[in-house]
Amino acid sequence: MPDTILVVVEQREGKLNRVSWETIAAGQAIAAATGWTLEAAVVGGSVSAFAAEVAAKKVAKVYAVESPKLEPYTPDAFAAALKQLLTAKQPKLVLMPHTYQVRDFVPKLATAMGRTVISDCIGFKHENGKLLFTRQMFQGKLAADVSFASDAPWFATFQNGAFRGDKAVAGPSPAPVEKVAADIADGVIRNKPQEVFKEAKQAVDLTQAEIIVSVGRGIKEQKNIELVKQLAEALGGELAASRPICDSGWLPMDRQIGSSGQTVAPKLYLALGISGAIQHIVGMKGSRTIIAVNKDSEAPIFEIADFAIVGNLFDIVPPLTEEVKKVKAGS
Amino acid sequence: MLIFRKPIEGVERPQMPADVVIVGGGPAGMACALRLSQLIAAHNAAHPDSPLSKENIYVLEKAREIGQHCLSGALLDPRSMRELLPGFEKEAPLDAEVTKEAVYFLTEKSKFKLPITPPPLRDHGNHVISLNRFVKWLGGKVEETGITIFTGFAGSELLFDGDRVTGVRTDDKGVDKEGHQKSNFEPGYDLNAKIVILAEGPRGSLTKQLINKFDLAKNANPQTYGVGMKELWEVPSGRIAPGEVIYTMGWPLTTKEYGGAWIYGGKDNVVSLGFVTGLDYPDPRLDPQHVLQDFKKHPLVAKLLEGGKMIRYGAKSMPYGGWWAIPPVAGNGWMILGDAAGFLNSARLKGIHLAIKSGMLAAETAFEALKKDDASAAMLGEFQKKVEASWIKDELWKVRNMHQGFEHGFYAGMFHTALQMVTGGRGLRNRYPARAGYEQMRKLADLPADGGAEAHLLGPAKGDGKLTFDKLTDLYHSGTKHEEDQPSHLVIDDTNICNTRCVKEFGSPCQNFCPANVYEMVDDATQPNGKRISLNPSNCVHCKTCDIADPYQIITWVPPEGGGGPNYDGM
Amino acid sequence: MKILVCMKQVPQKDAPLKLNETAAWIREDVSYEVNEPDAFALEEALRQREKHTGEVVVITSGPPRSQQVLREALAKGADRAIHLEDNAFVGFDAYNTAKAFAAAIKDEKFDLIFTGLQSDDYGYAQTGVILAELLGWPHATIIMQIEKTDGGIRVKRELEAGFFQFVDMPLPAVLTIQSGINKLRYATLIGIKQAKNKPIRKVGLAEVQSAIGENLQKIERLYVPQKTKRTEHIEGTPNEIAKKLVDKLRNELRVL
Repeated sequence: MPDTILVVVEQREGKLNRVSWETIAAGQAIAAATGWTLEAAVVGGSVSAFAAEVAAKKVAKVYAVESPKLEPYTPDAFAAALKQLLTAKQPKLVLMPHTYQVRDFVPKLATAMGRTVISDCIGFKHENGKLLFTRQMFQGKLAADVSFASDAPWFATFQNGAFRGDKAVAGPSPAPVEKVAADIADGVIRNKPQEVFKEAKQAVDLTQAEIIVSVGRGIKEQKNIELVKQLAEALGGELAASRPICDSGWLPMDRQIGSSGQTVAPKLYLALGISGAIQHIVGMKGSRTIIAVNKDSEAPIFEIADFAIVGNLFDIVPPLTEEVKKVKAGS
Repeated sequence: MLIFRKPIEGVERPQMPADVVIVGGGPAGMACALRLSQLIAAHNAAHPDSPLSKENIYVLEKAREIGQHCLSGALLDPRSMRELLPGFEKEAPLDAEVTKEAVYFLTEKSKFKLPITPPPLRDHGNHVISLNRFVKWLGGKVEETGITIFTGFAGSELLFDGDRVTGVRTDDKGVDKEGHQKSNFEPGYDLNAKIVILAEGPRGSLTKQLINKFDLAKNANPQTYGVGMKELWEVPSGRIAPGEVIYTMGWPLTTKEYGGAWIYGGKDNVVSLGFVTGLDYPDPRLDPQHVLQDFKKHPLVAKLLEGGKMIRYGAKSMPYGGWWAIPPVAGNGWMILGDAAGFLNSARLKGIHLAIKSGMLAAETAFEALKKDDASAAMLGEFQKKVEASWIKDELWKVRNMHQGFEHGFYAGMFHTALQMVTGGRGLRNRYPARAGYEQMRKLADLPADGGAEAHLLGPAKGDGKLTFDKLTDLYHSGTKHEEDQPSHLVIDDTNICNTRCVKEFGSPCQNFCPANVYEMVDDATQPNGKRISLNPSNCVHCKTCDIADPYQIITWVPPEGGGGPNYDGM
Repeated sequence: MKILVCMKQVPQKDAPLKLNETAAWIREDVSYEVNEPDAFALEEALRQREKHTGEVVVITSGPPRSQQVLREALAKGADRAIHLEDNAFVGFDAYNTAKAFAAAIKDEKFDLIFTGLQSDDYGYAQTGVILAELLGWPHATIIMQIEKTDGGIRVKRELEAGFFQFVDMPLPAVLTIQSGINKLRYATLIGIKQAKNKPIRKVGLAEVQSAIGENLQKIERLYVPQKTKRTEHIEGTPNEIAKKLVDKLRNELRVL
């Protein structure tokens, strides 16, 4: 019997967290490399709809782990329910997305089972039959390949964006769904969570933004930032800046990227009129895709850009904003 | 609007009594603390019934960590360390003992090795060290003896009572850019001390306050300075041996500038190299960081560094004025040590051993003062006498006119130096006068528009990113970091001078002489010349060049919030 | 309120890191500083003590140099410190570190244990949660706010995308504290002086040996991530560039 990989997807506020597809894609990739079987699990109060969604992907089986005590989420309930499932099904490897919720319970779950978690991984390697998980260390300065030195189950969580959710392959036909009633005794749950609510955050947290449109000295004057703001809005991204812009007070300090500001690694970083001094680069070079617009063909920013546009940002940005709006409206 | 740092008014400050406050945890300050500790320990052993306490002896160090702001080549003459800690060589972090020296005169493409190494530059018996590591170690020894080193605290102003220095006020913490108190505001303490010892290094800010208040420098030559720009490199092995020392003169400087370079082989294939430029050059467009980059392009250096990696950058000023530029070093409640006083041998290019010796002599003076509970000018004046009777004077006397001899160019300087060498330092007269460096800066109107022979030294370096670097890239490798939200610690008396006069007369040389891109003239249509001074204070590496070189002398460097500054790890 | 704050010493944020000979760890000759998230945990603990009186104890595990972190915490106002002192602690995984802490505090009766969000060197964000499980205590992570209630505490938890949640919990509990929730206080001169006389209990490896085991995971290798960057130039008139770029954003990068 080949070993099993179990992907535990995440559902919150009535829908599947789409980062779950990334974890499924990761599971499929590891299954292909190792020859192991891929299964999935959803945990919650009532999860059949979610389980059906997951079952459409190419997985061998989906477990719908249910109990009224699993709604709302508490680490006690989730850890207890999953411990039961894992003890029963004995997977080799358990994968989850590295979300705030997973961080809250998976170390507890692993410890309860006397096991360990390699968290926030950005990839994996399969070398000479050994599975290694790659993760960033020292805030991205170094990378580490980590292996498990324990018995199964092994736990690993993947960083947002490490795998592409759209690469999760659909199955030829829906996978079988097995309902699992979690048995959570009274007194297990100690936390009493209240309703989740949204609040306007005081400071902007650029580290959570998927798209960042960043502006540098090339913007010349404060009033021109409006131009870039419109592009950011059209893209659904956050506005950010290099230090001189924030120093001049044209944008607040919490929008500053760089060695004396925030370090970000979004899906897309658009650098407009930024020369690419090393003080700025260290704050964003981990971005998945970097697009740079600068008049100066020798600007250092082009050394780390995936896409380079040598030109005047005042010529480039307005048509770009229009095109983005057009395409988004059309879809 | 630029808001400048000054001590917050109208706030109650915690008062703390002290016997001795040493401002500055460099080699002078640490040697002073250690020697004082030794003397007290010996005294207490001999007089258990009347012990002296170390509880109220403090060292104030503005860096977050001991040694973090210490930068030098460096070569250590072990003479004073052997007095302070016999056998220190066995435990101190020394990179290598000097094995060979060479002095070169460079032209753009070639080099001439001096057949004989001039005696002041003979370094056998000296050690290549990292001053940062050395001071860290020395500081550790001070802490072991029970003396408290307050790291992350700067001396922001001296406290006076008439002609007496009564203490030091530390920096206010948690003040925002506009000068208002933040929620975590902590007022600076008033350390009311019997004895204040200033060991701040070159162009110390409290030292400057003291000298100005009591007009201490009235009988001395104006102090003159150079700025040293340093890079630490990792090179492929075999390029240079540990303990190999190279000095250069000439290119890229012309006969109008004073300065030269050093290259020291350290251990683990680390090379320390740097260029010192005298801050008395005539063309305000000269950029000392550019000078360093040009120097590296010389085949001698380029070959050494090829395939290597620059790992650290830093800059610091150093006092060249010599014996005649040293002000009185003791007074009512105060003493001045090390580079702050100007104890540096500009012929040997060494000051660390003198700083350490001065620290020891001050400690001996302070010890007597504590015993007698008398820190008057007469009592502390013993320090002045000790210095004059010590080998500090012997050494500095012989080179007392060295730097002044170069005021009229390289060849004149070499002539005077040669003459001084055979006359025990006298040269043409016992005391050569000196002019402050900033007075020698010439106006743009008097200089060729294209820079003439100096053109290659002017303006910012572009850098190729491998061997040479632009200033911002170099600056990144200084590790400098400050609390961003604080008032500017570069205090400019009158920014109108920057925007209206300096732009035209000197072309805003602050943009060039600052090694850290702190000063920038930005476009501003409302200004008469279309430009306005803008500051990036958090780039500062605490070298004091601006305070020294500004032609109008309107810039005063005061310490920023303690804990900020460069990180000279390994420098 | 008796609060324990777990703190870690990590290499300075912009220290140049070099791999050691085995490339399984870094060379130790760098500058160190307190893990910034832990400084926020300490700040929160000191504020809680100011509100409710009590004791703040700080703990760390590491070589002699890591004592600096405890000294700074004591200078800021912590009452006493526990130092698990041994070079070996550097190589412990989170599980073993948590086990060592649990063993070191077994005779204490804390109401709350705080940790920082995660460490700046490993970035695992696990030690606090593991410790809670080992002690059998409830826990909550990424906490912005703590209030005392009759039944224990009410904490404000941060979730993704601007969502928050209040959670009522009994004591004792473990909380991992979000960074940036308070302005960090400065140590004062008096604080630094007084810190010299505050007790630091040293705990040797031998004392906790029976509680720990082998690491359950292993860093096989550490390396500088290679950038295989090929820069593609997008050219043409501004309108052409706009179209080409949007096409890439939509179809290649899938951000539209």
